[in-house]
Amino acid sequence: MSDRKLPRLLQTPAVLLLLVWMLVPLGMTLYFSFIRYVLNNLRRPEWTTPSPSNWRGFGNYEFVLNSKDFLLAIQNSLFIVCSILFLTIILGILIAVLINKSFPGQGIVRVLLISPFFVMPAVNAVLWINMILDPVLGLQGIAVAGLNDLIEGLRQMPVLGGFFSLWPQFEPISFRATQTSAIAVIMMVTWQWTPFAVLILMTSLQSEDQQQKEAAVLDGASTWSQFRFLTLPHLGRPIAIVVMIQAIFHLSLYAEIEIVSRGNGNKNLPYLIGEFANNNIGAASATGIFAVILANIVAIFLLRMVGKTLME
Amino acid sequence: MGRIVLDQVSKSFGDVEVIPPLNLTIEDGEFAVFVGPSGCGKSTLLRMIAGLEELTSGSIAIDDQDVTAVPPSKRGLAMVFQSYALYPHMTVRKNIGFPLRMEKMPQAEIDKRVEAAALSLNLTDYLDRKPGQLSGGQRQRVAIGRAIVRDPSAFLFDEPLSNLDAALRVGMRLEISEMHERMKTTMIYVTHDQVEAMTMANKIVVLQAGVIEQIGSPLDLYHKPQNVFVAGFIGSPKMNIFSGPEAEKFGAHTIGIRPEHTDVSMTSGTWIGRVGVAEHLGSDTFIHVHDTGLAGMITVRITGDVSVKHGDTIYLTPQAEQIHKFDAAGMRIE
Repeated sequence: MSDRKLPRLLQTPAVLLLLVWMLVPLGMTLYFSFIRYVLNNLRRPEWTTPSPSNWRGFGNYEFVLNSKDFLLAIQNSLFIVCSILFLTIILGILIAVLINKSFPGQGIVRVLLISPFFVMPAVNAVLWINMILDPVLGLQGIAVAGLNDLIEGLRQMPVLGGFFSLWPQFEPISFRATQTSAIAVIMMVTWQWTPFAVLILMTSLQSEDQQQKEAAVLDGASTWSQFRFLTLPHLGRPIAIVVMIQAIFHLSLYAEIEIVSRGNGNKNLPYLIGEFANNNIGAASATGIFAVILANIVAIFLLRMVGKTLME
Repeated sequence: MGRIVLDQVSKSFGDVEVIPPLNLTIEDGEFAVFVGPSGCGKSTLLRMIAGLEELTSGSIAIDDQDVTAVPPSKRGLAMVFQSYALYPHMTVRKNIGFPLRMEKMPQAEIDKRVEAAALSLNLTDYLDRKPGQLSGGQRQRVAIGRAIVRDPSAFLFDEPLSNLDAALRVGMRLEISEMHERMKTTMIYVTHDQVEAMTMANKIVVLQAGVIEQIGSPLDLYHKPQNVFVAGFIGSPKMNIFSGPEAEKFGAHTIGIRPEHTDVSMTSGTWIGRVGVAEHLGSDTFIHVHDTGLAGMITVRITGDVSVKHGDTIYLTPQAEQIHKFDAAGMRIE
C-alpha cells in the first residue's frame, strides 16, 4: 500500500497548484457573474466593491443576452475561427506539398515561409491594416490606383479603346468598415498562421513512406491519385492537430480586432468581455462564462474529430 | 508472356558507377534470383527493370518491346516490396483492389478478382481489416495479392522475406515457389540470402559490385563456380578456400573444398588440425578445425552425430574430385 501512497503524496503539490490555478479564477468569475460589480458608479458607490449583498442572480446573464452585440460576437467568433481554419489548412497543404519537393534554395525558402509566425499579433495587424490593406496609402490603394491608370491608358488606344471604356473604375475597399473588418482580421491571421500549418504538415510529409508511393506508381496511380489516396489520409492526424491548436488560439483573438476596427461591427467574445470590463465587471464575468461554454462546445466537436482520425 | 532483356544497362549516381554496362536475358516463365552481398546493385537493377530508377545508358525490352522510356505502370510488371508498402489507411480489400481501381475497372469485376486473389492466399477472413491489424506474414500475402490481381507479365520481388522471422520465411518461400509452379509467370527475385536463391531459382544471377559474376542454375553454381567469389558465396556452410603450397600441389593458385566434401578421421588423413567448435545439429555436425596451416579455419560437415570435443586432434581428407581449382586471377581452372 505504501508504495502507492508515496507517489501520490509527491504528486499532490503539483496537482493542488494546478487546481488552484484553474479553479480560483473560474470561481471568481462565477462569483462576479452573479453580483452587481462595477468599477465606477457615482450614484451607487456600494456596487464598486464585490460583496454578496449586491447579489443579482442571473441578472448579468440576462443583461448580456439582451445586449445587441452578444449574438454578433458569437457569430463573429465562429465565422472568424472557421474561416481561418479553412484557409490555413488548404494553404498549408498546398504549400507543404510544394516545398516538400527538393529545389535549389530550399532551406532559405523554408525559413522565410515560417517567419510570419514569429511576428507579434499586434505588429502583424498594424502592418496589414496600414501598409497593405489601407485604401489610399497601403499596397491595395496603390494597386487599385495603378490598375485604374492602366485602364485609363488602354482607353486611349485607337480600336480597343471603345471596349475598355466599358470597364468600370475600380474602387479600393476600406477594411476598417463594419462589413469588411472581419475579412481583414481573417486575412492577417491566416497569413500569420499558415506557416504553423505548413510546418506541421511538412514534417508529416517528410515521414511519408516512399515505398508506398513507389508501389502506387507501379499500381498505375496518377500524381493526383497518390495525393488523394496516400498523402491526404497520411495528413489526417496532423490536420486534426492543427485544427485543434488553432481553434484554441483563434477563439481568443483580441489584438487584431482592436487594431483593425476597435470592434466596430466586428466584435468577438473576448472583445466583448474587454468592452464590458471597462466598467461592468459583472457583465464581463457573465460573458466570460458564456465564452467558457462556447470553447467547450467547440472543443468537444474538435476532440471528436481528432479522436475519429486517430481511431482510423 | 514475360521475356525481359537487358542490353548494356548501366547506372550511375553522380560520378559513382554502381552498375557498369551489363547484359542479361530472363526467359519467359523463369524464376530468376539476383543474389549478392548488400550494396552489390541487385535492388537497383530490379528497380531499373520496374522503371523506378532511370537508366544511365542501355535499354530494357519486355517481350521484344523497348520499355526504356515507358512509365512503370505501363510495363505490365508488379512488384512486392521489402517493407510490403501496403496502404495503411485502406482495408485489405481496398489494398488488393487498388491497382484495378486505378485502371478504372468496374467495381463488380474488382470485387470478383479481389475475392479470388484473397481465396488463393488465405486472406478471405481478413479482407476488411487494415494492414496495421495483420501479422508480418499476412501483410506479405496482401502485398502479393496486390501484385497477383494485376495479372502482370512478370513479378518483381525486392527482398520480400527479410522482414519475416525464420520459420515464416521458410513457409513463404515454399508458397512463392508453389505460386510460380502454378502460374508459370516470369519472376525476378532479389535477395542477399543464398539459401533463398538456391531453393527457389531456376536461374541465379550472382552480382558483386554491379558486375554479374555468374549466371546459372543453382546446381551449376554449386558444382561449377566460375570464380572464387561465387565459390565462397554459394553454399552453406561456406566453402573452405585457401592459397599457398598446399594449393600448388593441385596445380592451382587457390583451391576450394566444400565442408561436405571433406572426410574426417581421428587417426589418419591428408591434413591435421585441432577441433575448435563443433556444432551439433542432430542431422549434421559442423566441425570448425583450427591450426591446419592452410587457412585460419576449416569447416567440415559430417552427416549424423559425431562425438568430438574441443581440442581434439583431427585428420581431414578432401575428396579429390570435389576440389575446385582457381588461377591467380581467381578464375576457375577445369
